[in-house]
Amino acid sequence: MLDLSTWQAKTVFTALAVLIGFFLFFPVYWLVISSVKPDHELYLLSPTIWPNEFTLKHFKTALFEGGLPLHLTNSLIVSLSSAAINATLAVYAGYSFAKYRYFGRKPVMLFMLSAQMFPFGLLLITIYPMFTDWGLLDSRFGLMVSYIVFALPVATYMLYSYFSQVPNELIEAARADGASDLRIFHTIVLPISVPPIVTVFLYSFMWSWNDLLYSLTLIVSDDKRTVGPGLLLNYLNESNADWGGAMAASLMAAAPVVIGFMALQRFFIQGVTAGAVK
Amino acid sequence: MANLKIAGLCKDYGPVEVLKNIDLDIKDGEFVVFVGPSGCGKSTLLRMICGLDEVTSGALAIGDQIVNDVPSSKRGIAMVFQSYALYPHMSVAKNMGYALRLAGEDASEIDRRVKAAAEILKIDHLLDRKPRQLSGGQRQRVAIGRAIVREPEVFLFDEPLSNLDAALRVDMRMEFARLKKRLGTTMIYVTHDQVEAMTLADKIVVMNAGRVEQVGAPIELYHAPMNRFVAEFIGSPRMNILPAGLVADAPAGADTVGLRPEQLVLGEAGLRGKVLTTERLGSDTFAYVEIDGLERPLVVRKGGDEALASGLDVTVGWGADALYAFDAEGRALQVAPLKAAS
Repeated sequence: MLDLSTWQAKTVFTALAVLIGFFLFFPVYWLVISSVKPDHELYLLSPTIWPNEFTLKHFKTALFEGGLPLHLTNSLIVSLSSAAINATLAVYAGYSFAKYRYFGRKPVMLFMLSAQMFPFGLLLITIYPMFTDWGLLDSRFGLMVSYIVFALPVATYMLYSYFSQVPNELIEAARADGASDLRIFHTIVLPISVPPIVTVFLYSFMWSWNDLLYSLTLIVSDDKRTVGPGLLLNYLNESNADWGGAMAASLMAAAPVVIGFMALQRFFIQGVTAGAVK
Repeated sequence: MANLKIAGLCKDYGPVEVLKNIDLDIKDGEFVVFVGPSGCGKSTLLRMICGLDEVTSGALAIGDQIVNDVPSSKRGIAMVFQSYALYPHMSVAKNMGYALRLAGEDASEIDRRVKAAAEILKIDHLLDRKPRQLSGGQRQRVAIGRAIVREPEVFLFDEPLSNLDAALRVDMRMEFARLKKRLGTTMIYVTHDQVEAMTLADKIVVMNAGRVEQVGAPIELYHAPMNRFVAEFIGSPRMNILPAGLVADAPAGADTVGLRPEQLVLGEAGLRGKVLTTERLGSDTFAYVEIDGLERPLVVRKGGDEALASGLDVTVGWGADALYAFDAEGRALQVAPLKAAS
């Protein structure tokens, strides 16, 4: 526990909190006010901290004239599917690593985790020709597969750490009660593992939702494009920079993650801190 | 109800021999306590009876059936774990009925058996609660209830009271004694607490380093230990052990002799020493007497009202039949007469 009994400590702590808060929240504030400023106010030499005029024009344009709804839909499909598949695979893999002893268990786990050692950009160079050969280039399924490849090792490790802490006696009690291994997993272990599974789901979802590099490279058709590259190519391309549109569209693109995170926050925090203290 | 027979049972974990050639007969309806120091193999033996650990060699029979390869749920046993192992997301009623649901019993039968077990354990008002809403003692009762509803032939208890505070442990000990009388089922109970062993058991199995040291009724083990280990393990405070050379009336061939604290008398002719310290517990006073040539002080039990000053010079004597003698291998040479029988 922090000891803030002296005024010096309180002052330093408050100043640090304000500074960190400023760096965290000022960009968000700037995003929000820029999205409601009219064009002429966005390009002033002395920018206004509080808008002189408010407009919803950028939101209307983004929603009804650009490809944002389509890109958001694509992102939702890819991110939700990859997060669901990733969480499902990680749950079984993590449980197997944590609770069963078999030949090759540790090497397989290390091999899985080693995928994280390579820079994502480097792996893209190998994934690109593979996807070309397999016909997965420019497909939402291919993009989903690439996200699972990267999120699965960490997700598996997170769930492995959690399942390792599930008391063996609980599993043995269910076994003595007559439950099969799969039944024990589904009726005893899974119901008490909702927080870490939600954590893994959110982690995978955010990984996919926030991606730019893979989506920009592996998807070439505009109708399959996800929201990250969509924003970049529609609003901030070589010949044009529509900052107002970009801000309004970004705000709408961030909304699903923010809403999802707020709704599942309780599980997320529990999942991250699970097992930290007895 | 069923008897249980163990013959030549061994358990190895790789090169480590955890249980070495265990032979044991447990009769129908008997309450048997496995007792021994940590790591002696008592919990492993219980887990093998339960079917949670595989048998390396030997035979394990419940009733007339060899159950070495029979799954746990088909052995007719129910186990109560040290940590209770209650399913945290299920209500008390669901916890207790889980095994019956898996066995395909119909809902009304499950309900009847859960309610009957809950009444026996006085937890019928807790059936809708989740384990986290219960106290330690209540959780313990639910864990026992979960075992009772299965109507097993053998109950297994793995240090069930070790997570409870001292007062609750005494209450639950009485509860176990009541259950034993009421159910009359074969019960096997593992503990390292000899008070639990002495008060609950029909028969105690003393284990050490993967072997059975002695099997017998509690009072028999107390008065007639077969070796030094059992003599020291059973009884609190533990038996005083002295080199035979210090004791004039030690029998021939004795390497060490043993004297229980309650058999020693201060002020009688015997060994000379000095009171090191005393512990006054109200009901008893324990005097620690330093004797020349002895590594550990002798413990002497006195009445609760008897105070002794530290540093006091005393003599320590004992009665003619108080002496236990052991050879160089620790085997009992001269077993004191069974007081319970006399």
